[in-house]
Amino acid sequence: MSRREISINGRRRLVEADDRMPLLWVLRDRLGMTGTKYGCGVGVCGSCTVLENGSAVRSCQVPFEASGGKSYTTIEGLSSDASDPCQRAWLAEDVSQCGYCQPGMILEMKALLRRRPNPSESEVELALADHVCRCGSYPRIRRAAMLAAKLGGAR
Amino acid sequence: MTTRRSFLKVVAASGGALALGIRIAGAEEPGTPFVPNAWLRVDPDGSVLIRVGKTEMGQGVRTSLPMIVAEELDADFAKVRIEQASPGPDFRSLGTGGSGSIMRLWTPLREAGAAARAMLIAAAAARWEVSPAACEAREGVVIHPGSNRRLTYGELAADAAKQPVPEKVALKDPKAFRLLGTSQKRLDGVDIVTGRAQYGLDVRVPGMLYAVVARPPQLGAKADSFDATEAKKVAGVRHVVEISRGIAVVADDTWAAMRGRDALSIEWGESPFAAFDGDEHLKALEAATAAPGITIRKDGAGREAMQGVSRKIESVYLYPFAAHAPVEPVNCTALLADGRCTVWSPTQTPNAVQAAAARLCGIPAEAVKVNVMLLGGGFGRRLGVDFDREAIEVANRIEGTPIQLVWSRDDDMKHGYFQAASAHRMIAGLDENGRLVAWEHRKVSSPHNARGVPTEEDKKNPDTVRRWAWGVYDSPYAIPAAEMTYVPIDSPVPIGPWRSVFSPPSVFARECFLDEVAQQTRRDPLELRLALLGADDPSIENRYEIAGGGLDRARMRGVLELAAEKAGWGGRPAAGRSVGLAGNVFHTETYIAYVVEVSLRKSPRAGQLPFVVHRVVCAIDCGVAVNPNGIAQQVESGVIWSLSNMKGEITVREGRIQEGFYSDFPVVMIDETPGSIETHIVESDDPRPHGIGEPVVCPLAPAVANALSRLTGSRIRRLPVRASDLSA
Repeated sequence: MSRREISINGRRRLVEADDRMPLLWVLRDRLGMTGTKYGCGVGVCGSCTVLENGSAVRSCQVPFEASGGKSYTTIEGLSSDASDPCQRAWLAEDVSQCGYCQPGMILEMKALLRRRPNPSESEVELALADHVCRCGSYPRIRRAAMLAAKLGGAR
Repeated sequence: MTTRRSFLKVVAASGGALALGIRIAGAEEPGTPFVPNAWLRVDPDGSVLIRVGKTEMGQGVRTSLPMIVAEELDADFAKVRIEQASPGPDFRSLGTGGSGSIMRLWTPLREAGAAARAMLIAAAAARWEVSPAACEAREGVVIHPGSNRRLTYGELAADAAKQPVPEKVALKDPKAFRLLGTSQKRLDGVDIVTGRAQYGLDVRVPGMLYAVVARPPQLGAKADSFDATEAKKVAGVRHVVEISRGIAVVADDTWAAMRGRDALSIEWGESPFAAFDGDEHLKALEAATAAPGITIRKDGAGREAMQGVSRKIESVYLYPFAAHAPVEPVNCTALLADGRCTVWSPTQTPNAVQAAAARLCGIPAEAVKVNVMLLGGGFGRRLGVDFDREAIEVANRIEGTPIQLVWSRDDDMKHGYFQAASAHRMIAGLDENGRLVAWEHRKVSSPHNARGVPTEEDKKNPDTVRRWAWGVYDSPYAIPAAEMTYVPIDSPVPIGPWRSVFSPPSVFARECFLDEVAQQTRRDPLELRLALLGADDPSIENRYEIAGGGLDRARMRGVLELAAEKAGWGGRPAAGRSVGLAGNVFHTETYIAYVVEVSLRKSPRAGQLPFVVHRVVCAIDCGVAVNPNGIAQQVESGVIWSLSNMKGEITVREGRIQEGFYSDFPVVMIDETPGSIETHIVESDDPRPHGIGEPVVCPLAPAVANALSRLTGSRIRRLPVRASDLSA
């Protein structure tokens, strides 16, 4: 057990947890922030994706000990009123079916747009190539991703 | 027969609301007291709330069901919300499955909306002292055009609650619909994209502990003994308890519970199925197609007609075991305290959860409250209550502590219920002119046993057996002599309802084989299908009656023709590309056809589909199209689901399920998604709406396989498709 300060959605949080506990469970079970989803625990499905200093990481693969001093954004921190361009694009294209994987998808897209404000369709596909959506919302994700860029999702 | 009156009743509501109780699916005895199982409420602020027992799992019921109410109520749709109902003591018909929500709730919800509207108008008329017939309702407002007065539904709700429920209400002429048939977006979209949506795994109850279960790695095995010493040393582990299915480790957080489970030392007993092998099972299924089995449909002389044919074409199709693999693994949260059990479950069948909790805890059903959470994908998996039972068993052992029981990804992949592996022997008999005159489809699989293993009697009863052969007995094609049969073969692999239940393997075999027959008899596959549906033959009747319903061949022709027209069927595909087609009528209700265009994928990555689907054109006839946007979404979903089945399979070695992750049971990803998926909805004369979520699955894989077979010259008769299947 150790105690660390991590910044989550712009707020400093003092957390006590086992050093090896993945950030996913720190968020969900210690902090009660359930917007970050568990899908596989082995970094394959992408539903636990969060932003670490602005880049997309799979929170199931980030041990607590590696999180100290870093700044994280979860889906709750993107905006609570769905005003972020990525969220707006997701709503405009009516992407979600069950919706469980979408927080991870949206954050992966956010990270891509920060890197590449106007990505090509193939760059979008590459960025999302390792995210599972069992409902098959991919056609709308493609459209929403391009729209998010237009709406200024890089911000 | 119950009268209209007993289906609707004003119920008590606080704060000046109009609340109507609705009884759906009441097969009640005469004189049974009215117990509502759905509610419609108009609040003083003008908002409209409907509570129904239909689970949202991505199919869009939380949007489409409110649309139905709002239409007849003439409500402002922006103010309509839906809430999940929980089972009470006499609360049947809460389950969600079989693509039946819209169809079953269509009339009750329309009647409730129309009755509430009539009561709001009556209240306004009374206040203005005018005739109700002189008033109109629109977008949540009652208007008296004669005097230009208006009152909102919110202002009228309290008065309306004092009005009698009308004995009879007039429902709108579908031509007058303003909302139904327009594309509406998901009402709960904002909750999803902000992370507020509460799925089963997101339940957080004060004092809650987390549990994971070590289950036998071999089918049918049980723990002989276990040692929890090391598990209990893991920081955060609180309890280790044995339950009927394995050993549960209960801890402060999910991760500690998982590590505690890893630290358990368990002696698993011998499995009676230690020798079971999935490939051998498939061979046994194939061998069993040699015998005809139990007849579930016979047209004309049946298989006897094969004796007189000039030529036979015969093929066997094999379909693997497949998992549901929803991204949210199954889970359940339960608390037993003071003789009452509270359950929070992402379930498709809350009544069964309630009954299981009552039985396991030894308490009356009235003492069980089931809160239905959102589902991170359902697909039929959550019609099982196995995971609920586990959580309730643990909660029963640790009274007073809420327990969230979590299945890890590999638990979910290995210990669920599966689509049954199946073999299909297809035989076509041709006359001297090469016309298809005789047809046999023999299906062999292990029967449905999610809710118990069928008895020997069941297995001989054609009415029971028929359910395991969906897609076989309900073929829409008219062939002078046809016989469909089924052979049940036992397997230890637990089988359960999957998306489209047991239809996809049957439809795959039927629609691919029909393409073989077309190719071998040099007929266009569209033209052959249309002919078998009576396009040029007045002696073939449009109506075909089968057990449990009847289908309309004209509607089947309609979707095939529409899909073909929109796709430009008959044109020449680009070099290296090929087109294929398939169709189906699901459960005799929803008609669907796909035309697809494919090519071979150049240098696929490991695990990637060895082909590319460029374009999918879908035509669908589901009767009334409630929400066209929702229908298109489900078509896209069904296409991806069906393509995933061309990619992954569940295998069994020495009685152990081998796959545990999306890396070994791969599903379709964004870079394998078809370039375009178009949905064309038939303007149907059918005055009722029918299901969508499942019908969209069946004919896609055969359309793709047919296109690939035409491209490479070699037939695909076993799923999943390997790169080696695509060499000529």
